[in-house]
Amino acid sequence: MNGILIAMIGALLLPIYEAWQDEDIWQKMLAFASIATKTSIMILVVSVLRDDWMIGVVGVLILSVGNAALMLLAHILRRLNEG
Amino acid sequence: MIDNISYGLMVLGVVFWFWGTVPLLGHRSVLYKLHSLSVSDTLGSMAIVVGLLLKIPREWPLLLLALISLAIWNTVLGYVLAYCSSQGGGND
Amino acid sequence: MTDEIYVFAIMLLLPLSAGMLVAQTNPYHALIIRGILGAIAALVYALFGAADVALTEALVGTMLSITLYAVAVRSSMSLRLGVLEPEAMPLSAELTQALRQALQPAHLRLELLPYGDPTALQQALGEKEIHALCLPIPVSDRTDKRNYRLQTRTPRLQQLLNTESLQAIAHLDETLQHSESQP
Repeated sequence: MNGILIAMIGALLLPIYEAWQDEDIWQKMLAFASIATKTSIMILVVSVLRDDWMIGVVGVLILSVGNAALMLLAHILRRLNEG
Repeated sequence: MIDNISYGLMVLGVVFWFWGTVPLLGHRSVLYKLHSLSVSDTLGSMAIVVGLLLKIPREWPLLLLALISLAIWNTVLGYVLAYCSSQGGGND
Repeated sequence: MTDEIYVFAIMLLLPLSAGMLVAQTNPYHALIIRGILGAIAALVYALFGAADVALTEALVGTMLSITLYAVAVRSSMSLRLGVLEPEAMPLSAELTQALRQALQPAHLRLELLPYGDPTALQQALGEKEIHALCLPIPVSDRTDKRNYRLQTRTPRLQQLLNTESLQAIAHLDETLQHSESQP
């Protein structure tokens, strides 16, 4: 299980690097979407690893709500480009 | 036996994550990256959650909720991001 | 200790993303990085067993504050340029292009506000409704190839608009200093 978590952290580093080096705002949004999904799945894995279901509930809530924030931000950014 | 299947699913999920995230680093269009990212992120995350479900079956309602919200939200999010990024002329 | 090595690896991600956030100059890019920081912070809090803090970070710190700040930044970081109605003075694409280019380094948007006649424009500039105004120069008054004149309210804006491509199209007037002293 520890090895899987370490590999997940490695997979998390790739979009972080991408968000840092790419200047295009939509590429940054993509990296953000990827990170939001990955972190909530990692919270779920940690909750199973520790058998703590309070954390598990939080993971599922973040998984379903974090994407809503992304959609709101995407719509505001689209209005921005329209002028 | 069940343990091995569950580990196998989780490793498969992480492999999917890497497979979909590596194209993010290249200089391709937003829509190309979005396609590979949404497919592999959804499938990889679902494989990991199924692996967890096999590991501890007694908490199935929570993990089932995670599976459903993953499948629905990631699909909708992919559509919304593609729609928003193509409207503003941001994709080259 | 050794089997909890992933805790340290995840904890290191937090200062990493915070440093990325501080290094951003474009406010919209900074908002997105703030979202990434919020997601990682929620992961760290959940890792240490603080489920309530993680949930608050995800809902308020990431979702609510990003949305509010995006709206605030969008409405405040813009240059309001007063122009005449499009029938009276069609703005050339060249001019708007040059204006946008000049505003790019400051991450400002260009917002065009049409007004009925030049006196209304001057009044709006005096009453601080607009940041700058753009008027056509009549054909008889033209001394060179520049057909527009731009007037800004503050010297800083004039400094910002003082680019080569804009100078070639428009004549930059003195800033409206006397209006600042008038009530």
